[in-house]
Amino acid sequence: MKQSLTFPESTDSAPPVYDIKGLQKEFDDGRVKALRGVDLRIEQGEFVAITGPSGCGKTTLLQMLGALDLPSAGSLLYRGESLSGMADTAAYRAKEIGIIFQAFHLLPTFTALENVQLPMFETDRPLTERRERAIELLKSVGLEHRLDHFPTKLSGGERQRVAIARSMANSPSVLLADEPTGNLDSENAHHILDLIVRVHREKNMTLVLVTHDPSIAARASRTIHMMDGHIITDTLA
Amino acid sequence: MTFFTIIYRGLLRRPVRTGLTLVGISIGIAAVVTLVGISRGFEQSWAKGMTARGTDVVVSNMGSALAPKPFAAAVRDRIAAIPGVAATCSIFVDLTSVEDSSMMIVSAREWGGFSWQNLKIISGRMPNGALEPAVVLGQSAAEVLKKKIGDPIQIEARELTVVGIVDGGAMVENGSVILSLPLYQEMSGNEDKVNIIDLRAAPGASEDDVKKLCARINAAVPEVRALPAGENVGNSQAYKFISAMSWGTSLLAVIVGVLGVMNTMLMTVFERKQEICILLAIGWKRGRIIRMVLMESALLGLLGGIFGVLIGTAGVKVMERLPAIHGLLEPDLSLKLMIVSVAIAVIVGVISGLYPAWRSSRLTPSLAMQG
Repeated sequence: MKQSLTFPESTDSAPPVYDIKGLQKEFDDGRVKALRGVDLRIEQGEFVAITGPSGCGKTTLLQMLGALDLPSAGSLLYRGESLSGMADTAAYRAKEIGIIFQAFHLLPTFTALENVQLPMFETDRPLTERRERAIELLKSVGLEHRLDHFPTKLSGGERQRVAIARSMANSPSVLLADEPTGNLDSENAHHILDLIVRVHREKNMTLVLVTHDPSIAARASRTIHMMDGHIITDTLA
Repeated sequence: MTFFTIIYRGLLRRPVRTGLTLVGISIGIAAVVTLVGISRGFEQSWAKGMTARGTDVVVSNMGSALAPKPFAAAVRDRIAAIPGVAATCSIFVDLTSVEDSSMMIVSAREWGGFSWQNLKIISGRMPNGALEPAVVLGQSAAEVLKKKIGDPIQIEARELTVVGIVDGGAMVENGSVILSLPLYQEMSGNEDKVNIIDLRAAPGASEDDVKKLCARINAAVPEVRALPAGENVGNSQAYKFISAMSWGTSLLAVIVGVLGVMNTMLMTVFERKQEICILLAIGWKRGRIIRMVLMESALLGLLGGIFGVLIGTAGVKVMERLPAIHGLLEPDLSLKLMIVSVAIAVIVGVISGLYPAWRSSRLTPSLAMQG
């Protein structure tokens, strides 16, 4: 049964981080409907877990939030500005959001230190500052001893730590994570989730995390359950 | 890490494929250096020969063969009478096989003409008279033909004697078999025919004066063409044909190089599709992706160009020693040719990268989430 939440009015005039109305996404000329009218509002500093079975549209929703793809219909506002109408979505991805992928997606020909520097090419940071910032970020995820290691020489947990450091490179205000612990054993999964939650709290970042795992969703302040391209439940912890 | 680090890491990702592509483009550029270097060297060597003989203007009738067409020897007298002409020397020059050498310059010069003056005897002597059955050989010609003083030499079915070995001050001169004009005319059945008139302008004549003199000669003697020394070979149909062939063959080789680089860059883009999507997902602009692919491609071109110039230079050095060419020309391995060759390679690289770069820019960042 579809359940909608009524949010309290914001105490200040700042628009929500995301304000989504009637969002639809179709593929293959409309033969596949991944999102069938999603309404959602996410406020600054929330930790939102999106759950649901495979193919329910949760990753597609994350892609829309990250402006990795454009919606077929509906509106998606980021802090009051439409992502579809944005002239430069690359700048939005570079500066406003950090993305963590299930399969880490580090570039294999670059060291941990270099991987973390990659997003910084879209900023004005000079060379030395890029390097210093990357070292600082890798230290913050406990990888100061792995700076010059290539991804193939790192464990799964270490790779995801590098990916987390990379997602923080340009100090985004939103972190989007797609099954960030999906490729890790339970011990590493636990550590990585702790790290993501710590980053979210310390930086007061908005965190949107897609997961299959109810125990991970349980750590979120709000859980959205999806089915067949719809939001079925939206629950505050 | 600079942007250039990203570029060269891209090429090092598949070192064997990058290496093979470099070989492909290097061969194309080596062909440019070798063929164009040799054909331009041919022109320059002739120009140096003219300078060594102290010739300001060359009067000839350059047709479609490498050697000019014969014309009446009496033309010399009409030209000598034109104001501004200080001296003339009739010559019959032919490019022909001499004994074991497939191509040799045989230069028959007016007996007593100024074109003998630059020849310095190294050993032996000059012919004693206009009809003495004797030749002098330039140093390289003597080496190629393996002749020494007193040896017989077969020219146009006549056996002559090598009486001297000379230094002519230029590669073309040193690669020539030189004999007196009346002797050659008689031997070859070209009595009263010459095919070149070397001409000296009045002392102190400027480049402009020489051009004006050429114009006067061309107006007065329309059956031949007067050109400032050095320009005459470049204006010949045969040279133009050789030059066009050199560029044509080189360009074919370069086109093969273009296809090689394009194939490599397309493979790179297809293989790194997900990586490019990840870069787009973490905020890279499409323009930066295009620049990355184009710069990788240009770097391939640059490296291929540098290797190509090295291989081409080595190839020219080898070809220079071939009996058919040895002593005939100094290949033009000027810095300009090398820079032009490397520039061609870089342009080839950039052009080859355009389509792969466009393909890469069409990828959507959402593909990063797949796999």
